Amino acid sequence: MTEEIEQVAQRYARYTALGAAVIAAVWHLGYDLTVTLTGWPAYRLPWLNVAAWLVYTAVFAVALRSLARESRGPARIRELAVVTLAVDVMGIVAIEPRELLGISDWAWGSIGWIGVMLVWGRPRWRRELIAILAANAAVMLAAMALTGMLDRVAISKYLVVIVGGITMQLGYTWGCHLLRTRAEDAVLLARRLAADDALRESAQRIHTDRLRRYAAIRDVAEELLQQLADGADPGDPQVRDGCTAGAMRLRRLITEREDVPDELVSALRERIEAAERRKVMVTVPPFGDYLPCLPDGVREDLLRAPVRALDGARTRARVTVSAMSTMVSVAVVADNDDLPVSAAPVREPSGVVVTYQRQGGEVWVNSIWQNPSPGR
Amino acid sequence: MGQQHLAEPVTGPVTVALVEDHQVVVDGVRSWFGPPPSPVELVAEGPTIEAVQGVEADVLLLDLNLNGTMVVDRVAELCQGGQRVIVFSEHEEPETVRAVLDAGASAFIGKGRATRESCLETIMEVAADRPTVTPPMAQAIATDERPHRPQLSDKEREALLFWFQSMSKASVAARMGIKERTVRQYIDRARVKYAAAGRPAPTKEKLLICAIQDGLIQPDEVTIYTSLAADPGPR
Repeated sequence: MTEEIEQVAQRYARYTALGAAVIAAVWHLGYDLTVTLTGWPAYRLPWLNVAAWLVYTAVFAVALRSLARESRGPARIRELAVVTLAVDVMGIVAIEPRELLGISDWAWGSIGWIGVMLVWGRPRWRRELIAILAANAAVMLAAMALTGMLDRVAISKYLVVIVGGITMQLGYTWGCHLLRTRAEDAVLLARRLAADDALRESAQRIHTDRLRRYAAIRDVAEELLQQLADGADPGDPQVRDGCTAGAMRLRRLITEREDVPDELVSALRERIEAAERRKVMVTVPPFGDYLPCLPDGVREDLLRAPVRALDGARTRARVTVSAMSTMVSVAVVADNDDLPVSAAPVREPSGVVVTYQRQGGEVWVNSIWQNPSPGR
Repeated sequence: MGQQHLAEPVTGPVTVALVEDHQVVVDGVRSWFGPPPSPVELVAEGPTIEAVQGVEADVLLLDLNLNGTMVVDRVAELCQGGQRVIVFSEHEEPETVRAVLDAGASAFIGKGRATRESCLETIMEVAADRPTVTPPMAQAIATDERPHRPQLSDKEREALLFWFQSMSKASVAARMGIKERTVRQYIDRARVKYAAAGRPAPTKEKLLICAIQDGLIQPDEVTIYTSLAADPGPR
């Protein structure tokens, strides 16, 4: 569901960007090229007009490349905007002064669309587009002043064409921006809903799991109480061990606080429970910080040796997990007499390094994974 | 409570006030300390912070969960007057440990792993104003990734992690191929850096107090320090 909505939002961004390019292309080929070729004799400097058309095409190509790749305008638009305004000037110089704002004067209307393409998706698009359109209007007004076309009719014509052009170009950009923003809002909302669902589901799973473990501990406690009621000696070391182990499990269950089950932690917990069922006293400090995502195979390699040490523990074991964004370390200290230990560190293909140490009747097995590319 | 580290260096048995709401734990701690004469004496205990307030004690041993309420946010207020506070709790999550260390606690003893020896050792070290790092503190300091975390060397971080995960400092030394004394130095140095980073030291005086608390300099060196600080030479 979230993926579909994200795809829709991406399509909105991409196709509205390409829509601006299509409008500019249709305008440039359909109108600009037609008047350039059919109105050849009407131009004062027809080759300059052709040159203006070609420069416009080049800027269009640069902008199109950027829109197609990233759905946004090029990174450095200042130079391109200046070139575009130069096209405006070339177009005006190429025509007879009386043709100003006439059919042959194509540049004033087209360069606004290049402006739309250049500012597309940029953070300050409003300011930049208005600046380009205002510069275009100013160039036209200057040309009119220089050619002495500042009579009432010419001014009215100027206002109509400039306002018409600006309204279309600004309107399109504004409308598409609104559409894109709404699509992005929808994506954010969908993501939030999906995260809520995931959290609810994991909380439910944890709750169910805890109820199951509470029930298991209750059974153990019931059995112990029954033994005591039947006359078991509270001083008997076996009874005392049973009581201590039960108390430890209960305490850990009460102090457990992680809300999202981690696969590594879940796998470890399963083995801890199995050890406790064998009456091994297991100490487990809370795992605390969130564990980073592990590449394929790393979790298995991290757990293999410590779990073997835990599985073979005779009476007691201590399980610790330390995690940072770039490192995960799993260790077991246990009174395991049978575990074969390697004097040198064992390097797994996944990058996990396992070290062993025997000291004072205990074995310490520690596997560490370091993220080879912490920058990611 | 409320005595100052600098004014009253500990002589004789270390006096401890305990804030703990479970009688079974109070009795356990009392039995760990043993009957007088003992190097550590329990001089007051109570189920709330208020119950021991006003009692002169070298160290305050504080349970974090009192009658169902976490008192992490009261640690800073307790430490402000110079009181040495050791938190004694089963809430060993690194973020909780970091919170109390940042608030000025001298040490954190995890109830899950504490033994009589380790508990007494930590109390004695804290009373002597020497840096001490228990396994839960080692994990919290080593895995601190917050922007203002202290800059630990690779060896210091490694020693902290192994100390948290192994059976003893001797096994850490064997693992790193160094002397146990060097392991202790790495761990203590990390604690000093951490204490300096966690404690705001806006003035030279405060920094000086921190340095003395961390055992970096001795109180009798203060005159030399002051004269250096007052040196009007070129900066």
